[in-house]
Amino acid sequence: MRTLRGIAAAPGTAVGRASVRRRQSLDLDQRRSPSGAVLSGAAIDAALDSVAADFEAAAGNAAGDAADILRAQAALARDRALRSAAVRRWRDGAAPARAVVEAAEEFATRLSGTGNAYLAARAPDLRHIGTAAARAVLGLAPEVPPPPPPGSVLVADDITPAEAAGLAPAAVVAVVTGSGGLTSHTAILARGLGIPAVMGVPHLLDAIGDGVLLAVDGDAGDVHVEPDDATTARLAAAGFARLAARERARTEAGLGPSATADGHCVEVAANIRGVDELQAALAEGAEGVGLLRTELLYIDRTAPPSESEQVAELAAMRELLGSRRLIVRTFDIGSDKAVPFLPARPEANPELGLRGIRLARQHPELIDTQLAAVAAAAADGPVGVMAPMVATVDEVDWFVERVGKAAAAHALEVGVMVEVPSAVLLAAEIAERVDFVSIGTNDLSQYLHGADRRNAALAALNDPFDPALLRAVELVGRAAAGRCWVGVCGEAAGRPAWAVIAVGLGVAELSMQAAQIVPVRAALRTVTLEECRALARRACRMTDAGAVRAAAEDLLRERSAR
Amino acid sequence: MSPAGAGPRRAVQAERVVEVATTLGLHARPAAAFADAAAGFRATVTVAKNGAEVDATSVLLLLTLDVRRGDRLVIRGRGDDAEEAVDRLATLLAAP
Repeated sequence: MRTLRGIAAAPGTAVGRASVRRRQSLDLDQRRSPSGAVLSGAAIDAALDSVAADFEAAAGNAAGDAADILRAQAALARDRALRSAAVRRWRDGAAPARAVVEAAEEFATRLSGTGNAYLAARAPDLRHIGTAAARAVLGLAPEVPPPPPPGSVLVADDITPAEAAGLAPAAVVAVVTGSGGLTSHTAILARGLGIPAVMGVPHLLDAIGDGVLLAVDGDAGDVHVEPDDATTARLAAAGFARLAARERARTEAGLGPSATADGHCVEVAANIRGVDELQAALAEGAEGVGLLRTELLYIDRTAPPSESEQVAELAAMRELLGSRRLIVRTFDIGSDKAVPFLPARPEANPELGLRGIRLARQHPELIDTQLAAVAAAAADGPVGVMAPMVATVDEVDWFVERVGKAAAAHALEVGVMVEVPSAVLLAAEIAERVDFVSIGTNDLSQYLHGADRRNAALAALNDPFDPALLRAVELVGRAAAGRCWVGVCGEAAGRPAWAVIAVGLGVAELSMQAAQIVPVRAALRTVTLEECRALARRACRMTDAGAVRAAAEDLLRERSAR
Repeated sequence: MSPAGAGPRRAVQAERVVEVATTLGLHARPAAAFADAAAGFRATVTVAKNGAEVDATSVLLLLTLDVRRGDRLVIRGRGDDAEEAVDRLATLLAAP
């Protein structure tokens, strides 16, 4: 490991591979265009016009600081004084490209010479205009470097305002430059985007080659080349803490939906049992309820809850949710969660017994009352309803028909839980019949592996990173594509590394405990959808849960260090 | 000969001395607004600081003056709307 020192220009830390930009050199003394025509002073005016027009067009596609900076560049390219200085130099005998570069340099030097740091920081901007205009004079297209691969550390002697305006946290995790400082456009934009930056590193391009692993510490101004594991881990941990804090701040400010770095939205919702838990979840930024467990209403009572009681309970939650969706799971009671008003026969194996939709089919009056209450709640905002323990297509048809009787068509979203392996294998047929499926990873895992999830001795078999469970999610995602949306409401959804894989498998909604919402949102924001997909493809080819977990955590560590 | 009815163009000259009150002096954004305003008049307008006089319509030249709050600038205009031009530009610099 070697450490280079520069100016700490934008705070934060990141680990990524260097994407090095080297500038093409130009033959400034060329006096003929590529077609052989003699280059005249008119070429200078035309070149500066085209450079200004390029900046104006880019400003139109940018926002905020970036748009302001690009407009300022356009104004400088149109400046009369710059033009007349260039034309004067051409009249004095310089080739047009050299004339415009030297005129820009003259003003850059004058701005540097003012002793005003702000004006000195504009000097590179002028030099970029000179270079861009020289390219135009010589008949060369504007230099458009290929976008760096996602997760890159952008390394260059300097970064043009146009490049700086195009910085995106998805692609560039950090910026390292040989020139520039705190007041440069690149530093201002990097700070605004939360991209760490170290600037003014001497002999940068001699020290760093393309593809080299860098750990960038924008707080200290250090760039560690080929960092050791301890340094990487330290910076990545600091980065994740910063990221989670930022995500929390975003949540508190009510800003933006949960999304990947490239803007692919994923609903991050909460698993709740009642109003109290909903309040806690909303405080953490829940974007909806992906699983309302309704069993609390049924247990410990001698008579089933009335429709009006359930309506009141749901209305309280609907009101808190505003425009956010509430997904109600119909009662999942059975012999292990027995209720006094439904005397259950003892079962040797309650987990595999008469529960969920199986019990509901024996007591249709119970589920009809619940569905009527759910339908009433849908008058106040988006509501979905799903049945647990569905194992056959016939059960799906029965449930959909029941919901159809309780509510007008399309008043509710209708779904089923996928937690029995048979439902995974029937996913395509199920998906044809419903609006959504929600994968219950806890039960699905124990049924897939035939391993009681409450038995600590079998914990390894119920590891959520187990490739068999992931392949089951993959099967559901594929079967549902184009038919219905897929959510996950098991505990696995609340693990950041697992959530990232799930998104890669086509999962559109993740529902979890309130405390997991911020970490999951923060993790999603570090990766692109394509990275999630690539990770998921790799994970599904693996055979070992430990290897899957390591691959997912490695990706997050690399990406989260902003 | 002067066109009938339009009246001869008067070679008006105007001058104001202002103390810069804007907090950022004449940095890029205020300078661009100033240069745009100057370009909106028919009069030729210049700005001078410590004897260095530049074309008021050039952002770049205005920047090279390194204008800071409290600096005394001389704004000069020549042309039929010179009075209006220097008044307007002086107001821009005097606004805190």
